[in-house]
Amino acid sequence: MEREDKTITFQRLLSDESYSSDLSSDSCEYYQTEIFGLLPSTQTHRRAHADDITHDQNERLRLDRICWNPNVPLRNLPVCLQDKRDIRDRQHLQKRSIGSWDAWRRSQQTTRRRLKEQVGRAVSGLLPWRHMIHRIEGQFGVGVKAYFVFLRYLLGLNLLYCVIIGGSVLVPTLVYRGESTETQNPDWSSLYKDMFVGSGVLEKTAVFHSFYTRGSLNGACLNTPLLFLLGMVSIIFLSIIMLVRRTVVGYKHSWITGKHFSSNLSYKVFSGWDFSIQSPQAASLKQNFTRNELKMDLEEQAFHARVKQRTLTQWVRLVLFRILLNLAVLCLLTGSFMLIYYAIHLQQSCTDESTECVMLKYLPPITMTLINIALPRIFTKISEFEDYSLTIQLNLTLIRSIFLKLASLSIYLFFFICADKDYQFCQFGQKKNTLKPSQHNSTILCEENEFGKEMYKLTIFNLLEGFFSAFCVAYPRTFLVEKFPSSRLAQILGNNQFEITLNVLDLVNSQTVMWVGVFYCPLLPAISTLRLLILYYIKKFTVMRCCAPAQRMFRTASSSVLFHFTLLLGLFMSVVTLVVNINRFNPGGCGPFNGTRTVFDVTNDCKEMLPNWAKSTISYISSEAFAFTLILAEVVILTSYVSRGRANRKTIERLKDMLVMCSSDKRFLVKQHSTIMRRRQRPR
Amino acid sequence: MGGTASKLPKELLSEYQELTFLTKQEILLAHKRFSELQGRENGPYSSRVSMEKILTLPELKSNPFRKRICHVFSTSDLRDGSLTFEDFLDLLSAFSDSATLEIKSHYAFRIFDFDDDGTLDGRDLEKLVNCLTGETDDTRLTAEEMRQLISNILEESDIDKDGTVNPSEFQHVISRSPDFVSSFKIVL
Repeated sequence: MEREDKTITFQRLLSDESYSSDLSSDSCEYYQTEIFGLLPSTQTHRRAHADDITHDQNERLRLDRICWNPNVPLRNLPVCLQDKRDIRDRQHLQKRSIGSWDAWRRSQQTTRRRLKEQVGRAVSGLLPWRHMIHRIEGQFGVGVKAYFVFLRYLLGLNLLYCVIIGGSVLVPTLVYRGESTETQNPDWSSLYKDMFVGSGVLEKTAVFHSFYTRGSLNGACLNTPLLFLLGMVSIIFLSIIMLVRRTVVGYKHSWITGKHFSSNLSYKVFSGWDFSIQSPQAASLKQNFTRNELKMDLEEQAFHARVKQRTLTQWVRLVLFRILLNLAVLCLLTGSFMLIYYAIHLQQSCTDESTECVMLKYLPPITMTLINIALPRIFTKISEFEDYSLTIQLNLTLIRSIFLKLASLSIYLFFFICADKDYQFCQFGQKKNTLKPSQHNSTILCEENEFGKEMYKLTIFNLLEGFFSAFCVAYPRTFLVEKFPSSRLAQILGNNQFEITLNVLDLVNSQTVMWVGVFYCPLLPAISTLRLLILYYIKKFTVMRCCAPAQRMFRTASSSVLFHFTLLLGLFMSVVTLVVNINRFNPGGCGPFNGTRTVFDVTNDCKEMLPNWAKSTISYISSEAFAFTLILAEVVILTSYVSRGRANRKTIERLKDMLVMCSSDKRFLVKQHSTIMRRRQRPR
Repeated sequence: MGGTASKLPKELLSEYQELTFLTKQEILLAHKRFSELQGRENGPYSSRVSMEKILTLPELKSNPFRKRICHVFSTSDLRDGSLTFEDFLDLLSAFSDSATLEIKSHYAFRIFDFDDDGTLDGRDLEKLVNCLTGETDDTRLTAEEMRQLISNILEESDIDKDGTVNPSEFQHVISRSPDFVSSFKIVL
């Protein structure tokens, strides 16, 4: 019994895929059925030889073994349909002999299981684009599919935000909105420009912060600013919880499959073939991938062997060279940050309404995009010189690109925050300017709106970039390669490849922009949803029409961890920016928090209304004493988890040993069984 | 869909649903495809379709393991890899989305076990790797690489160190491979 329990835990540790626990609990029997099903004697005689007595006995024995656990659905047995039928007939006989209560219970179990499956299937059927993604998977393998699944996940996330925003921010404001003070006629002629820059008419609409003024809904604990705050905070908390959960689940997988148990090559061979591949072209490509990857791994092994034989002088030379190259990378990064800074500077020096100015307003996003396109490719080249193993090269490029993406965005935000404002954080010890900008031009400018506008522009620009790269770069290139395959240019350019890493980084980048901007541009999730929807079709077009599958294999499990991890980094970055912003802006200017000293003042009014006991509870919760208790409790919980993790690791080791024992036992039994069978056959 | 529904008797359909992982629609689609292969409508459910015909299915055509798949799922006494409709359903069920890891790893093992002896030995692994990388001389790994690879695989997954990978060792490895369930899939 104890042994069985251990097996159950083992199975759980090993596979998240084993769908329900009642399946894994039968794993003991499974191994046995497998052994018996795989015996050479059973394999050579299949059914049908009814006259053969040995075979008949054999068959009965096998069926007896299989009938062991009637709770397992028949389709879970690895035998052919006719055998399943035979087994079921036997079970029917059993069913008659057992009580009606048992039979009813058993049938109920089946119905429940079936219902659960149906519900699960119906829910998964609701997921959009299943067939398209399946087709993409068939043609381009699992890696590209991971990108599209990630895109779909982000789309779902943004839709959820839309619902939250709609419920807590938009509807209350629209319903309880006071009389609109501005009745000026919007200038419709400049609408196209406003759409891109977010100025003019758009500034007065629900897109931006200043629209959400305190309306007629003005209770102490139920007013629009409070609802606004609630919506934003719930968005942030929800995303943190969801992302952490997804990252941790993926991390668990990759930890289990990672270096701690070195069976990487076995996976690549045993689960190397993607059986959903249909076209012969994709099949030969897949074979190329597999071959390349196996060769890469073997090379890596040889590389490690070579590293061990390196002499000291070689080491020193290599380290110096690496330091030099890293300096070069740093220089490139700094240079690109400077470029971004200049772009922002130029943009902010332009204040009139001319067309050049509209172009200039897009200068920072354009610079960032160009940098983000060019530098990762340079990094790939640089990492080739560093004499690292191939995996490290790939990861290094990836890490540098991630750093570049997030850092360039944060630099952009930082300089934007610092550039023309008197925010004391940026002044590095200079005397603080006492004149607040909101005081001298608060009628014209709303700082929050300005910030929201920036994020709006970045979002719109990401969309434009998607359009541009698909229809002005990728498609003409494919066209050229297809029409003039022999020309020099076509041979230099070669086929397009769908670079999963860069595309995912793009998604992460724009999602970060959304999180940063949502507080000041509450309709950003809706815009973002629309953008992702369009982006899906653009990318689908790019992949299906313009791309040849990439040469480097991408593993789903490990890569999706990385995707979510970068997304998490982006989220943390945006939370930091939001906190800085909330402290930076004087909330008196415009928007829902007009008239309060800080954003969180709105909750204070509500707190005052509460009965005494609740007030004292809240003040206790926010006091140091409670924080201390909380930290202590967390320490205790963490310690227990760590020790449990250690115990689990020990159990895994022990179970590994046990598996060795079990398999040798089985070997022995199988040998015994076959000798008995032989002895029985001999008298005949 | 309504036209094809009438061809399969209702009780048979529900029985198939019970015994396989396939949904009603999938079974009907499978029946349609199978009777197209058969060439005549309403064939008896035990009549066989030869392996050559099965292999013309686009889902199997470019699979390097296609012959092994047919052999494993065939219940023919002649061992010629021909399939009845029920064998075909068995095949689709094992490769369906909702089949369990246990089922999938069981059949994967049998597909990879080229000589049907119940264990994966060095020769099986060599054939397996050749299928993965392509069979021709210029796509194959070199003999040295192959030797290194096979010794690596055995080192990693041959727990009891007897020189072969047995079913439980195989399942042990497979159950930790997160890509396996998603890649061991054929959908009509």
